[in-house]
Amino acid sequence: MIRIEFRGLLKIGVTAAVGMMAALVPGAAEDFGPVPQIETNAAQVELGRRLFFDKRLSGDAAISCASCHDPARGFADGLPLSAAYPGSLGFRNTPTLINTAHRAAWFHDGRLGSNLNDVTREMITEDYMMNMDMRLMQERFKQDPVYVEMFEAAGYGEPSNGGARKAIPEFLKTLISRNSAFDRGELSPSEQSGFTIFAGVAGCGTCHSGPRFTDDRVYNTGVPDNPEIWRNPMRHTTFVAYAMFMGIENFMNIRRDPGAHVRGHAADGSDVGTFLTPTLRELTHTGPYMHNGVFATLEEVIDFYDAGGGDDPNKDRRLMPLGLSKQQRTDLVAFLRALSGDPLTGPEFVWQDPIPTEYDVIDDWRETPN
Amino acid sequence: MLKGHKETLISAVALVVALPLFAAPAGADNNPPLAPLGDPPIPADNPQTPEKIELGRMLFFDPRLGGDASTACSSCHNQEQGWGFSDDLSRGYPGTVHWRNSQTVINSAYYGKLFWVGAASSLERQAPSAAKGAVAGNGENDVMEARLAFIPEYREAFRSVFGDEWPKIGNAWRAIASFERTLVQTDTPLDRYLRGEEEALSEQQLRGKALFEGKANCIECHNGPMATDERYYNIGVPPAPRWEEDALAQITFRYEQYAKGVTEELYRFIKDDAGLYYRTKQKEDMGKFRTPSLRYTLYTAPYMHNGALWDLTEVVEFYNNGGGENEFGHNLSPLIRPLGLNDDEIEDLVAFLEAFSGPEIRMTVPELPAYQPLPDPAE
Ligand code: HEC
Ligand code: HEC
Ligand code: HEC
Ligand code: HEC
Repeated sequence: MIRIEFRGLLKIGVTAAVGMMAALVPGAAEDFGPVPQIETNAAQVELGRRLFFDKRLSGDAAISCASCHDPARGFADGLPLSAAYPGSLGFRNTPTLINTAHRAAWFHDGRLGSNLNDVTREMITEDYMMNMDMRLMQERFKQDPVYVEMFEAAGYGEPSNGGARKAIPEFLKTLISRNSAFDRGELSPSEQSGFTIFAGVAGCGTCHSGPRFTDDRVYNTGVPDNPEIWRNPMRHTTFVAYAMFMGIENFMNIRRDPGAHVRGHAADGSDVGTFLTPTLRELTHTGPYMHNGVFATLEEVIDFYDAGGGDDPNKDRRLMPLGLSKQQRTDLVAFLRALSGDPLTGPEFVWQDPIPTEYDVIDDWRETPN
Repeated sequence: MLKGHKETLISAVALVVALPLFAAPAGADNNPPLAPLGDPPIPADNPQTPEKIELGRMLFFDPRLGGDASTACSSCHNQEQGWGFSDDLSRGYPGTVHWRNSQTVINSAYYGKLFWVGAASSLERQAPSAAKGAVAGNGENDVMEARLAFIPEYREAFRSVFGDEWPKIGNAWRAIASFERTLVQTDTPLDRYLRGEEEALSEQQLRGKALFEGKANCIECHNGPMATDERYYNIGVPPAPRWEEDALAQITFRYEQYAKGVTEELYRFIKDDAGLYYRTKQKEDMGKFRTPSLRYTLYTAPYMHNGALWDLTEVVEFYNNGGGENEFGHNLSPLIRPLGLNDDEIEDLVAFLEAFSGPEIRMTVPELPAYQPLPDPAE
């Protein structure tokens, strides 16, 4: 079911991308502008926030969403490759969740193109993520009087997995970039020059367009492989499980992340190694970079683009050696940094009260309806 | 793979087709006698080989066949606890408790249907449901199968036993089933007695045997070589006290009702384990459980589907009192009624129950091979 969705999405994506190529490359600050805030329901956000920080949403109650999406790290984790559910390790870099509510497709391979409710379900139920049977999760919620009240207040009735899958996206909608130097219109001369290069000669804005600096499309930029995935069986097993589930051919013998090939399935393999354009906001909080975290610093990323991207026969034609001067590279990095706003670490983003790891007994159990 | 989940609270249609499971007509004469236990049946499509059994033994002890690589079959079927788990409710997957007592796997090879309500039709099918259930192994096929591929010794064993290029998870269950078919005990004092070794049972045990087959009428249900008719009865085992005292047990209790797809009405008000009902969705099957074997029970306390009875004397006293009470009293087996045994008779019967067990079955825990990176085929 999910895979059919991807195929549909890609077709639209591909035709639109071809049409766009000739179109105007955005150049003025207004073309990027601040990221619009989203209206939310306070009680639903509050519930979503608690759920986001609650480890009882994972099968063995060991990790929460925030274990990997840490507010202090821009809702990413600071690791090249993510952790995973205990017993496994991840094979991709944890993306920031800031501005994710504006995305049109999710995950580095863009394999979900529907909505955050589905993304949330995938995170909770995927065996190498939180490995949770949602029927059990729901009964855990019902055992916590705080949730019983909060689901009610949020208008979801009694605690349910359906309610949780609505409340978490509602919380994610509040994670919007704010108050970056770029949005305030307070760029230093170096940052300003970086912006000019970004939107001009370097052509970054062709893909990193719009307020979030992403067109939500997939490209092959030739990002080099991260050999740690194949060196470490705890990561390689996770990749194999993913590849098996996604129906990737010959999955035991490949040593490369196929990226959005899982949604495009191009017969000639030309979409192997394409990944979704990430947002460029909040980069100061979210390194290392790229789908596999191969670049530790923004300087490395700029050197990569200056060299015309990586080595790949299917690399996007737009990437060519740029021949930037040292100063231009410095300015470009300075500009990218100026796209980071206030850290979202205040109480409106971080659940403050301790979340119990144990549950209260229902005292008059025999007399209380289940 | 994504974990199963349901959008709606209650599935309207019972997944299991109702099978009428008739109780045997009363009358001790029809009962097959206790008999010595022979070799277990071996399915034609999964023959025993020493290599397969050894692979199954390793897998049985390997926690990587489970969600977070912490919980092996042997975690709940612990050889030091009678190949079961010595608590009323079994331990669960981390963060959970199970809702039933863990059964011994000794002699499970002889049962037609596995689990307290016979929910699995073979050991090959039982193993995956244990490894995958949210309060047992909580594993998923793809991750578990992927893990096996990174253990060179397993790769080699699956190749030579099953011809797998890469270990197939279905074959892991077959190997485990083969191993379980070696966990049998056929030389208990009772077996030896029934094979003609008269001194294998004490005087007291012989008096107990007569009660078992006569006044106490245990033979009505606990008969044949396995001391079970493999039918289903409500003998009045009371609900688990932990459902009233233990929050994790309350969570699992509701989860089980929900996961088994009972009606909304039942989900709200049920406060006990409805047993066979979950399979058949027939009211008259509420509270019924499979008659368990009495073999190896010397080591498997506590007893009954929820571990309500803590030793064999309590069990005999329970029967002597005409069983107990639960929510499903309307289904109480008419075969369960006060027995009028005196204290000596109770002791004799308990002594006889001990004759269903030989020495403890113990083995060294296999050393488990480690993950290794997979060589790149391109190099
Ligand atoms: C074990 C670490 C981990 C946990 C726990 C986790 N995530 Fe993620 N999350 C990731 C990784 C890694 C990705 C990228 C996966 C990919 O591209 O295949 C991701 C992707 C996402 C995305 C898509 C972001 C984008 O821009 O494409 C969202 C939204 C998300 N997670 C939300 C959540 C929520 C909500 C939870 C809790 C219910 C959660 N995550 C729990 C690691 C984690
Ligand atoms: C052809 C489209 C395209 C162009 C042009 C492009 N990018 Fe990218 N960019 C991508 C894609 C796709 C990724 C993700 C690649 C991956 O994860 O493997 C990416 C990743 C990045 C990242 C890493 C972000 C993160 O959170 O990991 C940065 C920083 C970045 N690009 C900056 C730039 C700059 C600066 C330029 C111009 C010099 C530029 N990009 C030009 C498509 C493009
Ligand atoms: C978390 C504890 C737990 C784990 C792990 C576990 N079991 Fe069990 N096992 C139980 C419980 C409890 C029962 C009874 C459940 C029921 O009837 O609903 C049971 C029942 C059984 C039975 C049925 C015996 C009979 O008399 O019908 C067999 C066989 C068995 N388990 C084998 C296994 C195997 C093989 C594995 C590993 C793949 C395994 N178990 C993992 C707890 C566990
Ligand atoms: C009507 C059939 C029936 C009769 C008669 C009967 N039993 Fe049982 N026995 C069962 C069933 C069914 C169970 C499991 C009940 C449950 O778990 O709810 C059981 C359980 C047991 C157990 C616990 C085994 C375990 O592994 O937990 C023992 C011991 C036992 N019976 C001994 C006896 C003795 C001794 C007698 C005679 C006094 C007897 N039974 C008479 C059907 C019967």
